[in-house]
Amino acid sequence: MKKFITNISLFVIFVILVYWSLIIIWGNYMPPSFNQNLNYRIGSYGHMYSRINELKKTKDVDILFLGSSHAYRGFDTRIFKNSGYRSFNLGSSGQTPIQTNILLERYLDTLNPKLIIYEVFPSTFSSDGVESSVDLIANDKIDFKTFRMAIELNNVKTYNTLLYGYYRQLFDKDKGFEEGVLKGDDRYVPGGFVEQKLVYNNAAAAKAEMIDWTPKPYQIKAFENILKLIKEKQIELILVQSPVTRIAFKKYKNNKNIDAYFSKKAEYYNFNYLVNMNDILNFYDENHLNQEGVKVFKEGVRDALYFFTFEVLCIIRVCNILCISIAVTAASAQVFGRSTLLVRQEHVRGGACV
Amino acid sequence: MLFTSTEFLIFLPIVFLLYWFVFQKNLKLQNYFILAISYLFYGWWDWRCLFLVIFCSGINYLAGLKLASDKNIKSRKLVLSLSCVFSIGLLGVFKYFNFFVDNFISAFASIGIHLQARTLNIVLPVGISFYTLKALGYTIDVYKGKLEATKDMIAFFSFVGFFPQLLAGPIDRATTLLPQFYVKRTFEYHNAVEGMRQILWGFLKKIMIADKCAIYVNEIFANHETLPAGTLVLGAIYFAFQIYADFSGYSDIAIGTSRLFGFTSMQNFNVPYFSRDIAEFWRRWHISLTTWFRDYLYIPLGGNRGTKFHVVRNTFIIFLICGFWHGANWTFIMWGLINALYFLPLLLLGKNRKNTDTVAHGRILPNIKELFQMGTTFALAVFAWIFFRADSIGQAFSYIGHIFSKSLLSAPKGSGAAHILPLLLIMILLEWFQREELFATAKIGYTWPKPVRWSCYAFIIFLIGMYMQTTETPFIYFQF
Repeated sequence: MKKFITNISLFVIFVILVYWSLIIIWGNYMPPSFNQNLNYRIGSYGHMYSRINELKKTKDVDILFLGSSHAYRGFDTRIFKNSGYRSFNLGSSGQTPIQTNILLERYLDTLNPKLIIYEVFPSTFSSDGVESSVDLIANDKIDFKTFRMAIELNNVKTYNTLLYGYYRQLFDKDKGFEEGVLKGDDRYVPGGFVEQKLVYNNAAAAKAEMIDWTPKPYQIKAFENILKLIKEKQIELILVQSPVTRIAFKKYKNNKNIDAYFSKKAEYYNFNYLVNMNDILNFYDENHLNQEGVKVFKEGVRDALYFFTFEVLCIIRVCNILCISIAVTAASAQVFGRSTLLVRQEHVRGGACV
Repeated sequence: MLFTSTEFLIFLPIVFLLYWFVFQKNLKLQNYFILAISYLFYGWWDWRCLFLVIFCSGINYLAGLKLASDKNIKSRKLVLSLSCVFSIGLLGVFKYFNFFVDNFISAFASIGIHLQARTLNIVLPVGISFYTLKALGYTIDVYKGKLEATKDMIAFFSFVGFFPQLLAGPIDRATTLLPQFYVKRTFEYHNAVEGMRQILWGFLKKIMIADKCAIYVNEIFANHETLPAGTLVLGAIYFAFQIYADFSGYSDIAIGTSRLFGFTSMQNFNVPYFSRDIAEFWRRWHISLTTWFRDYLYIPLGGNRGTKFHVVRNTFIIFLICGFWHGANWTFIMWGLINALYFLPLLLLGKNRKNTDTVAHGRILPNIKELFQMGTTFALAVFAWIFFRADSIGQAFSYIGHIFSKSLLSAPKGSGAAHILPLLLIMILLEWFQREELFATAKIGYTWPKPVRWSCYAFIIFLIGMYMQTTETPFIYFQF
């Protein structure tokens, strides 16, 4: 028995070493088609590498955007800059709450935002989070939190990519890597936004299968952690659902439940109801806005969030003129005749302190 | 708990260490522990269905005790009948109830009588087809006097619920497995190492062959109306390998795990695709089930004795029941019927036991005749598998209809051949060269130096890690 246990223990150590060595060999020398469960793509789709690099030099922003590609393709940081707000878009491809949680734990203190706009695409809550995890492993630093994420996801692709990524980090193999601003139809815009060449959605008529929104428990747990972290830091939070094509939106049988769930958690806007989009002209596929769509969305966001963001920024940054700003807000609402939907009671919560 | 899940990879070493270090002191402790971990293993999936395992064990345990104490033939028959009714009744309710109700309604509808009845929303308890046969086999053996009834309740409940076999067999006989619960197990290094090797081979078959084939099989069967015949033929062949690798892989893991705990389990597959006729195929495929049906159904019905009519009748009964055992669907019954039709000529001509040895025994390669025989048998098996895999009889006929179409000689498209065929070839070659062993890697590398041997194992583990499907695929036989 003793011999068996000793041999098994030695064998386990041996397997770990051989496995890691083979992962390195496979990652370095095998073509991607042979690496089914190893997906280390530095500078991959979505410009995460550029975003993280820029993030390291960024401090104290007004608005931080989080979420999936809907976020980094939907919230154009230039628009907010023009309005006088410093913003950063930390969205990434297929970003699920597990990755959002890690990014916040890593960078929230440095970015120190006054407001977080978190794009809560329901699919990301039902996703296993593997593709987004390998994106994060390849394009951001690997630390204890990354290992924790891998254990939470418990997927062989994440483990393999992590082993390979850790080797590259350990031996500084990605030193000198530079990601181009232009990549295919995408152009990286400082601040984390990715602009896409104008393409129209050809698949607008595709019929979608009806599904129920069934979030994964570990994604919900990560989401709760995110809410707790943001609350602890006393940062204002807005949850938004970016518009998708009507067909893509209607495929969820329980959209009302989704809205009810998010409404309970924070200020929440579902832009599928709030902006009027054309399935062909405003999208480049069933889930993503094209640049025309971004413009329409921008208007919607501005309209919907104007009072809220204005108020929040006033509270935080210009406390002494809070009352004036609230008054201005209320006055402008009357002047411009905003809809009651957008100027809901809670939007002017600050009024209570007047 | 699935053998291929992370939970099992954590569960196995923990219970192994506890079993040999804490509970090895005496037999009772070992059996109590086996029972506890078996129920934990099963309850992990759905603890409510655990009551069925306990109920089935309890009924057959009590039946055994009654049979042992009762000498009256009539009351013994009554006890056996009650045991059969309860055990098969469990299967009837949980597996076949909706099937019978649906077909009953359809049959009346076809003659213009429209009945209204509700089917029940019943969850099929995993493993029910396996543990009911195992427990029932014990009662029949006691009734026939082949086995003494056990008074050791823990040993009997552990035998029925033994975790490596609980979900999908092998359906070990009480005559061989139950006595192993009466003696204290002692650790044997060689046995444990062999068990580990067999588990590794089982994982390789399940993850690298079955799960890979499943991707293409699902796609091809779902879109068979739009695909060329060549692709459909490959789809059927892939399914033949998928079901073999899936189920024999499961059996290897189960048998290997049993060995780790000091138990010897029966061989469940013996290179069935190297069979030279269908009779040989059925001696090599799912051996624990086919021998169960042979011993407890076919022989009591009269077997090959009696008139030709009786022989034909018995053959059809056994194959139809075997098909129906696999699932409450006409496709399985059809599969059984086709195999009966394959088997019958051999039986009537007295050639069903012609090929009882291993093909090309003592030679490296088969001769042309053997090759032809193996090819024909495999083709027949593949044809029958189409019914087994199809969702309905209609789909099976549609699939076959599209095979025999104008595109029969066209090249397969999008069938994943480049990804799967090399893997299949490796498996076939390994199995061919080790066809007389218990499992394909039983002797490979056994005499090699340790570093080389370990490197091979590590490489296999790496291949599994690099190429496995990242979504969990349950074993096919769980649904049965």
